[in-house]
Amino acid sequence: MAKNRTEVADIDRSLYDFTYGEEGFERLAAGITPDIVREISSKKDEPEWMLELRLKSLDIFNRFPNPTWGPGIDGLDMDNIVTYVKPNTDQKHDWDSVPDDIKNTFERLGIPEAERSYLAGVGAQYDSELVYHNMQDTASKMGIVYSGIEEALHDPQWEPIIRENFMTVIPPTDHKFAALHGAVWSGGSFVYVPAGTKLDFPLQSYFRLNAKGAGQFEHTLIIVEDDADLHFIEGCSAPKYNVANLHAGAVELIVGKRAHLRYSTIENWSKNMYNLNTKRARVDEDGEIEWISGSFGSHVGYLYPMSVLNGARARSSFTGITFAGAGQNLDTGCKVVLNAPDTTASVETKGISKSGGVQTFRSSIVATPRAEGAKATVSCQSLMLDAESRSDTIPAMDIRAKNVDVGHEATIGRIGDDKIFYLMSRGISEEEARTMIVNGFANPVSKELPLEYAVEMNNLIKLEMEGAIG
Amino acid sequence: MKIENLNAMPAPTWSWLKMNSTSLEIDPELAPAGAAAVEVEGADACRGNDGDFEAALKLADSRFPARRAAAPGDASDRERVDAGNLDQLDVPALSTYQTQAVHLEEKCGPAESFSHGCGSETANYLRSVAQMPVVLKLAPYQKECVTVRINGVDGAISAADIQVIAGEHAELDFIVALDSPVIGTGLVGSLLSVVAAEQARVNVTCVQTLDDSWTALDASGFFLDEGARVHVQHTVLGAGKSVTGLASELWGDTSKISVDTDYLAARDQSRDFNYSIRQLGRKTESNMDANGVLTGASKKVLRGTIDLVHGCRGSEGTERESVLLANKGVDNKTVPVILCDEDDVAGNHGATIGHVRDEQLFYMACRGISAEEAEQLFITAKLENAAITAPDERIRAGIVRLGNKLVSNFEEEIA
Repeated sequence: MAKNRTEVADIDRSLYDFTYGEEGFERLAAGITPDIVREISSKKDEPEWMLELRLKSLDIFNRFPNPTWGPGIDGLDMDNIVTYVKPNTDQKHDWDSVPDDIKNTFERLGIPEAERSYLAGVGAQYDSELVYHNMQDTASKMGIVYSGIEEALHDPQWEPIIRENFMTVIPPTDHKFAALHGAVWSGGSFVYVPAGTKLDFPLQSYFRLNAKGAGQFEHTLIIVEDDADLHFIEGCSAPKYNVANLHAGAVELIVGKRAHLRYSTIENWSKNMYNLNTKRARVDEDGEIEWISGSFGSHVGYLYPMSVLNGARARSSFTGITFAGAGQNLDTGCKVVLNAPDTTASVETKGISKSGGVQTFRSSIVATPRAEGAKATVSCQSLMLDAESRSDTIPAMDIRAKNVDVGHEATIGRIGDDKIFYLMSRGISEEEARTMIVNGFANPVSKELPLEYAVEMNNLIKLEMEGAIG
Repeated sequence: MKIENLNAMPAPTWSWLKMNSTSLEIDPELAPAGAAAVEVEGADACRGNDGDFEAALKLADSRFPARRAAAPGDASDRERVDAGNLDQLDVPALSTYQTQAVHLEEKCGPAESFSHGCGSETANYLRSVAQMPVVLKLAPYQKECVTVRINGVDGAISAADIQVIAGEHAELDFIVALDSPVIGTGLVGSLLSVVAAEQARVNVTCVQTLDDSWTALDASGFFLDEGARVHVQHTVLGAGKSVTGLASELWGDTSKISVDTDYLAARDQSRDFNYSIRQLGRKTESNMDANGVLTGASKKVLRGTIDLVHGCRGSEGTERESVLLANKGVDNKTVPVILCDEDDVAGNHGATIGHVRDEQLFYMACRGISAEEAEQLFITAKLENAAITAPDERIRAGIVRLGNKLVSNFEEEIA
């Protein structure tokens, strides 16, 4: 058992595990106090209502207890977490103006190359602030807005819209870490897609947390108006430290009538990260939200994208994979609220655990009395790669409407020896055979990702699978 | 008095769903009804003594001492962290229930981990109101059929503490009937504890036919030794509020349990079920199958947990649920959980929550049956099935009494 864990811990993660110094960076004191919250707000020169929301959120954070149902967060001492680290640059709109060490970071992660190849726009956040934001002219000519959320907050055209929607999809009272986010949020993106606009290429935000012992609390607000269409990609990574880091971002998505939004995420935080992120979409009549989610990193993960289907015939689909390796406890899944007639939801998830990792699938399907004629299916498969790991499934269903159909199925098991034997008898090594089978298992998720991200995901699986034999 | 944290599932989920446990308010005016409320039939050849059950569990403890866990967060992980060979960040940060699972595995043998699914506070309460336990002890290879009837007594708590020790290769058909033959209000409870020794066979049929003014509290716990087989049939048809808990521990290799539940809830009745099966032995099997109909403004919560403990290689656990929601105002909650700490296992669960399908309604409409009548047919079918398969005439009479309140001419229909 110990051998496996050490092997995985020692494998080369240099693609993500590199750091640069913090020379010239501004770092607030560790911990969270009203003064720190005021200081963050003051640095951003925010409107008064935002400071009020921050202080109200802080009060909620202090009053709410830690969750008792999920992975342990005793190792997360908020007194040691630095909530704000500003890099030594302001936001730029061309890569050449970004300081070399930060630019090198994103180049090593392939972000500028991705922007050139297939993205309509990119936002890059380093620690607490956006350092780069750009969008192709074609997209801006369509009336699409993709900017830093703080930038939009200072724009008189967008400030009222942000005020109307900010933390309404995820209120600070939702849970303790939503409240924390409301108090100390910093950075993140604002996207506005006007009615009837369809963007053929995705937008992407990439979040890099470089600072040791820091938290990242970016806020993403996306509004897709009626009949519009958008694909948004979110990526994140961090180097590994021997102290806890925290990610408590928030993603609020508002999908209009007949609109469509696909939100893809590959999370690859380092294995000292507490990832307590909250994502939620509110969908109107005939609208559709698609979640594609890959969770690989983090020491502890609480991640359950939620779809609130408020309009008749609104749709939601969630396709996710979670890979928990040594030292990880990843509690992931999704939530759906069917809150209108004839709404539909489908959930398909894959979970893999190995080398003593713990993976939990947790979900809820709630059909309110308004949801007559709604339908939901949940399919959850978990693969155990060794006997030292753990895999749990905790799906909940609460149905309060008539004429609702809910189907649920889940399986947990291992890779069958017969499959390994079949592949080995054709000259494939055992390690390769296992990787092939796991890649096949993950295929329903990877096929939904843009090619480059599918390749990254398969590489991550390969990386995690190294040392799986023995 | 109020019992909190009743029927708590081992691995909780989000508190806002209000599914993790229930509570039960008990009128402090209710007094224990005493032994007169409990009838025992067919037990003359297998009466045991107070203390026999504890002795049987103690014997099980010697056969199955607490195991050393080999799981995330186990003793070896903790030692390596304490020795400074690992950082806390190198071992998974376990949740409370995962830590408890490791503790159970490392420290607790069959006696200490034995439970009834309803929680220890409730079990102690039922023991205290039942006063003297009914102890059944079957010698090896003995075959018996025993019935225990717990009858509601107006203004009182009728409860039985039943302890069963089925010796090696013994076979027991055991019937528990919770009924309210008189008009009144009160609580009817049953606490059943079973040790099934090697190759023993125990079939438990529990039928609950209380009227709306009664509360039912039914809990059972099972220990299964090598090759033991237990089948439980829960038929829950009545009571304003019914709470059913079941916990089973499959310590012996190749032991097997199946739990079939049929329930019906109407008007503003509520049903609360908590099933928890821990599989520890190799090649063990568990099956949970629940079928129900909810109508009126009734509520139901079903928690089903299969816990595949480290070392239970070759084991399988399956749970299924099928619910028909026959009315707009019902509230149906289901949480089918699989906890898996072993790779060489198969855990499956499936749930179907639905209504009478369009093609079924069309078929019936072609024959002059309206949608409302069609839904009524499903309720009638549930009651009819229970009446037809009732273990004896007195239980059948209880079902007919309930059926007459829900379906017009029910008695004539099944005659």
